[in-house]
Amino acid sequence: MWRDQPWWFRDARQYGIVIVLLLAVIGAFIAVPDFNTEENLGNVVTQSAALGVLAIGQTFVILCGLIDLSVGQLLGLIVVLSCDFAAGRPERFIAAVTMALGVGAVSGAITGLLNNWLRIHPLILTFGLLSILQGVIFLYTDRSLGQAPPQFAWLANGRLAGVPAAAVVLALLTATAHLVLTRTAVGRHICAVGGNEENARRAGINTHSVQFFAFVISGVSAGLAAVLVAGRLGTGFPNAGSGYELDAVVAVVLGGASLAGGTGNVVCTVAAAVVLGLISNALNLLQISTFVQILVKGLIVIGAILVNQPSGEPA
Amino acid sequence: MTSALRITRSAITATVERSAIWIVLLALVLAGTILSDAFLRPVYLGNVVRQLSPAGIAAIGVTFVMVLGGIDLSVGAVISFAAVVCAVQMNGETHNIPWALGATLLAGAVVGLANGVLVAMSRASPFILTLGSSLAVYGLTQIYSGGTARGVITPEFRNFFNYRLGGILPVLALTFLLTALVGGLALRYSRYGRSLYLIGSNPRAARISGLPIARITLVTYSLSGLLAGFGGIALLARSGVSSTFSGRGLEFDVLAAVVLGGTTFEGGTGGVGGTVAGILVLFVAFNMANMAGLNYNAQLIIKGVIIVASSAAYNYLKRRE
Amino acid sequence: MRRLTYILSACLFIVIAAVPLNAFGQTNRELQDKQMREVVDTIKFKKVPPYKVGVSAGYLSNSWVVFCLQHIRYEASLHPEIAEIVVTDAGFNPTKQVADIEDLISKNVSVILYWPVDDKAIEPVLKKAAEKGIATIDTGGGFVYSPGTVSSAFIDQLTLGEMVAKHLLDDLKGKGKIFAMLPIAGTTAAVDQLAALKDVLKSYPRIELLSAEHGDWNRAKAKQITENLLQRYSHIDGVFSPAGQMSIGVAEAFEEAGRIDEVTMSPGDEYNGWLKWVAKHKQGGAVTFPTRAGQVGMQVGLEALNGKVVKRGYLVPSEYLSPAEIDKYVEANAPDDWWASTLPNNWKPK
Repeated sequence: MWRDQPWWFRDARQYGIVIVLLLAVIGAFIAVPDFNTEENLGNVVTQSAALGVLAIGQTFVILCGLIDLSVGQLLGLIVVLSCDFAAGRPERFIAAVTMALGVGAVSGAITGLLNNWLRIHPLILTFGLLSILQGVIFLYTDRSLGQAPPQFAWLANGRLAGVPAAAVVLALLTATAHLVLTRTAVGRHICAVGGNEENARRAGINTHSVQFFAFVISGVSAGLAAVLVAGRLGTGFPNAGSGYELDAVVAVVLGGASLAGGTGNVVCTVAAAVVLGLISNALNLLQISTFVQILVKGLIVIGAILVNQPSGEPA
Repeated sequence: MTSALRITRSAITATVERSAIWIVLLALVLAGTILSDAFLRPVYLGNVVRQLSPAGIAAIGVTFVMVLGGIDLSVGAVISFAAVVCAVQMNGETHNIPWALGATLLAGAVVGLANGVLVAMSRASPFILTLGSSLAVYGLTQIYSGGTARGVITPEFRNFFNYRLGGILPVLALTFLLTALVGGLALRYSRYGRSLYLIGSNPRAARISGLPIARITLVTYSLSGLLAGFGGIALLARSGVSSTFSGRGLEFDVLAAVVLGGTTFEGGTGGVGGTVAGILVLFVAFNMANMAGLNYNAQLIIKGVIIVASSAAYNYLKRRE
Repeated sequence: MRRLTYILSACLFIVIAAVPLNAFGQTNRELQDKQMREVVDTIKFKKVPPYKVGVSAGYLSNSWVVFCLQHIRYEASLHPEIAEIVVTDAGFNPTKQVADIEDLISKNVSVILYWPVDDKAIEPVLKKAAEKGIATIDTGGGFVYSPGTVSSAFIDQLTLGEMVAKHLLDDLKGKGKIFAMLPIAGTTAAVDQLAALKDVLKSYPRIELLSAEHGDWNRAKAKQITENLLQRYSHIDGVFSPAGQMSIGVAEAFEEAGRIDEVTMSPGDEYNGWLKWVAKHKQGGAVTFPTRAGQVGMQVGLEALNGKVVKRGYLVPSEYLSPAEIDKYVEANAPDDWWASTLPNNWKPK
């Protein structure tokens, strides 16, 4: 039985992706030219940070047995709005961050309300919202707008004594999220609802509020990730978020979570996001043909899923 | 006994759900005629059906997969891949066409088979597996095409598919309708088709009753790949384009159409008829948006609203009965 | 309070000052001409051979850029001091292009040639490269005047759009209804082509612009949009479409609707599929969008590497090819997705 296994085996299985990350870093150190400069190591983190933040929110949603495909376009919308609003002015930083988080939270809340009211599959609901958000972005603008406040750029790219600011942000967020999920009632309820919604309801948990909460978290994480992306780009590019939602889902699943809900943790998700960023970086440094890179990414996704399968799942 | 009862019941449920989407379609068509009197002209209707043919053909395959309880997100990539393969194999020579078509369908089926193997042999979710395989197939297409749209298409190939029977119905549209007819009948009345409903609605019972689930899974995903390959041929015929990303994004239109048509993620219900109605609804809505002079971006919003509203309406109807 | 007033009035001043600059396309053009003639001191970009050339492609999924890249490779092959070429592909994702350029910097490339997904998005990282002594050359995009870009080997979309518009409107004898088929919304190409068209339209009051559509350089999409427009408008006299690969889609839609005789197509570019159509129908012509911008970019890069003085902008001029001249440029045996170019045969894409 699972519980009879020694503790280090269980931890190894659960945190498998972290081990993969360490192995990948060591491998890259040895085999990839130009990888082990301080600059490049920092780059790997800054290149993965936005995805990591977004994937944290997605973890909450997936743990709850749901999914949120609208976060990519939501991120794009927030990037455009915040850059347009800030217009590069440093004194607008706080307002821009508040706006980013606010728009994210509102969108998440709307998703949550619709989910509770319409009771359609979240995949379909959030996919429909994806389309709507994309249309809204392009109605607002068809070209890059505005400029991110310099603090965004610093958060995304800057270093504090050699350590990227983005790494600090990511670490703090991961720790907070992990604590919320494991130590608070709401966090545990999320896992319960994801594991078995019926049972959770019978146990007295208000499944509707829990799901609502998960979507709001997802929206807020999109807002935070948008701050980082806006910092990277410096400008509000309308298509900035395209595809991010799938990358986030991939990161969550790579981190060992089950799409059915109930199992998974944020530390593994973030590790998976960094692994994905590392792979992109390594492939570029190895000068692998760009066409081959897409193929390799697909094969790695498949391989990682097969290796990192959730255990004890009925077919 | 019990399984026969379940099949009958699910057939009835499916019929009710199917009718719902046709009502929605009728409402849209009526709205369209109000908007513009050119709407119902057969030439333009033929156009709409031709526009949706590539996605429609692929959607038939995905319907099979979803009834089984799975999902296939790689269809967009396979469509692009198939278009490139077909154009390259044709290489400008008319006598190459049969070989090119055969090779393309085979290529699609092989990808589908690979998907089926992954799904059948692992416990991981088909959603993420087919997502991974779509990336891999896009990569393959890029490598094979070298970034440009390789291959030369003969004019005969395109003329055949674009020829309008009786001046109205393009051959391509007819191809789609025939495929839908054959697929729908097969799904509903063949033993293979009925086993899909069974496995989808109650996998455990299906396993106990001795159905060869792994084999059926392989066949179904291969079928989906084959039809996606056919969709690629249709895309090539309609647009003459064999570039890497010609099919990109189609997998979401396909998914929307299938779900609109009443086939659910859990599996065990739905059917090809609903899918046909679903894809018609989607593309008629696009066409109407164009006619109303709406910005392309408004169409995106409309697509999203339709998807959400139709699904919600379905759910509501399902609860009523 | 006083500082706020100062800031506000400074902003107001800038806004007021900017308005007249943007009000007339001509003044913008003059500004661009002035800027491109500025010279850059390239001492800090000078390097000792052998050189490693970095190419940051915003996208490689489009035959034009594939040809442009071949031009770069061809030019590089003529200079033995170039040891290798490293290519990254951002796949239309600006965030990835930022990461790609960072990775090229990590690889210690000697110079970076690039074409952007979005100019502003990569400005900060290009500035980083320039500060590290890596020359950055915009190749085949629009003219960029920013601290991050040392020089641009560019094709002027405004001039191109103007030439196309003038030829079309003259062919229409100054009267009729037209629609515009433009590239991906937000790109320099789309913005400039539409601006040029609108500017030229001012001199042709009896031409009506029915709609400006975005076909995204996608033949199938252009065809679908045109089919819908045909449904909406019972009579269309002309089409403004500088991008050949969209022009064929548009023309096919007209042909299939049986309405090809009512419409006049504008010149496209030297996209082979379009050239084939022009050769067959004897109308349309082409205003070129030369893929040899790649070679110009590489040449400018080499000048910078040698420390020679370099201008901010090198215009690769477009020329007009009339339908009668097209026969010299069309390649009937090559795929549609091909470009008439000056590349030697063994350097063309496979």
